Amino acid sequence: MNNVWQVVVDSFPQLLSRGLLMTIPLTLISFAIALVIAVVVALVQFARIPVLRQICRFYIWVIRGTPLLVQLYVIFFGLPSIGVNIDAFPAAVLVFSINEGAYAAETIRGALESVPSGQMEAGRCVGMSYVQIMWHVLLPQTFRTAFPALGNELISMVKDTSLAANITVTEMFFQAQRIAGRTYQTMALYLEVAVIYLIFSTVLSLLQRFGEKKLSVYGKR
Amino acid sequence: MALLEIKNIRKNFDDKEVLRGVSFNVNKGDVVSILGPSGSGKTTLLRCINFLEKADSGLMEFDGQMYDLKDMSKKEITGIQKQTGFVFQDYNLFQNKNVLDNVTLGLTSARKIPKDQAVRTAMDMLSRVGMEDYAKQYPSQLSGGQQQRVAIARALATDPKIIYFDEPTSALDPQLTGEVLTVMRQLAEGGMTMLVVTHEMSFAREVSNKVIFMDGGVVVEQGVPDEFFSNPKEERTREFLRLETE
Repeated sequence: MNNVWQVVVDSFPQLLSRGLLMTIPLTLISFAIALVIAVVVALVQFARIPVLRQICRFYIWVIRGTPLLVQLYVIFFGLPSIGVNIDAFPAAVLVFSINEGAYAAETIRGALESVPSGQMEAGRCVGMSYVQIMWHVLLPQTFRTAFPALGNELISMVKDTSLAANITVTEMFFQAQRIAGRTYQTMALYLEVAVIYLIFSTVLSLLQRFGEKKLSVYGKR
Repeated sequence: MALLEIKNIRKNFDDKEVLRGVSFNVNKGDVVSILGPSGSGKTTLLRCINFLEKADSGLMEFDGQMYDLKDMSKKEITGIQKQTGFVFQDYNLFQNKNVLDNVTLGLTSARKIPKDQAVRTAMDMLSRVGMEDYAKQYPSQLSGGQQQRVAIARALATDPKIIYFDEPTSALDPQLTGEVLTVMRQLAEGGMTMLVVTHEMSFAREVSNKVIFMDGGVVVEQGVPDEFFSNPKEERTREFLRLETE
């Protein structure tokens, strides 16, 4: 028993540091890029821009219809066979941001379409341009509406980054596998890493709740 | 010379003819009330004139410039929208902006007026409608009547040549309509040009200097209020007035 505790205690700082130095940055960088993709894809659909709109629908269809793990394999193991080599971490960022971008795009499009049409009309009636109305009126309201759903997606993503272990990204779960392989304390290690994911998710949930409270200053519609 | 002249405006929604050739004009300083039963096309008329709907055909002369309503560029449309104000039935205040920012946004973003100057103008307009104490509140914290007064201040702030009102009191409880009508009355007395779609017969009669009665997508009768209310010429007008004053 001593041995198990010793392994857990010894591995904790290693796992946590992988979590803080890899899992969290991988999540945040990918999510930030995903949000940019999502806003662009949502706006293209909202504004009904021909051709681009069909491309966006195709992108969402493909990404949402295929497993994340398969997407990771295609980029990291598949591309080298046609001469394109991407390092593990950038490959993971690429896949996670493209993947999350497709989901977040639908979340944002839904929120954007839920803003009453009178908001756009009121903007036009005071002489604002489409872009000005979008920036000052529609998008802020869209983010307010989409915030809880996006928060959930961010929390999912923290956990999903464990899949990156499969393409040799040395994130938290990869580290847990490595220590488990060395010490044979599989149960202890995997439970331990599960607890750290749980801590990360809990912190994010609390931040989400705090953010929702902050955003509620202008009340409900 | 007319500030606004509309000639033969037409609009269909699918197969339904909503406007079947409407013509009228508004002179500078006029307060024109548009009356009519629901479905008569009066709201659509107002929305077409301010380009919230695209008219199928018709001409518009605005401030000495002639436009073909079915064939206008975005630039021409925004150019006219910058010179007009619009007050909606359901206020449509920007939900994510406080009262002050609702009024300044059209100035700072659309007209690039410096922030401090925009705030001064906005506070001025808010005190004209009696809402200066609510500058930091959000629309959802206000009553309907208060929101509508802010909406009027927002329209006023851009120094419009004419303000369109689309049934501005129809969404309000009876006890709240009074505060909005009082503000509109003051505007009229101050010489503001107004085109008002309304069900408020007393407003049409006492405040406006011209009344247009619409039914079935056409203007049935128009004239000065005294004449219109006491001596309507058309049978359809008489019937409408009878129902409204019952």
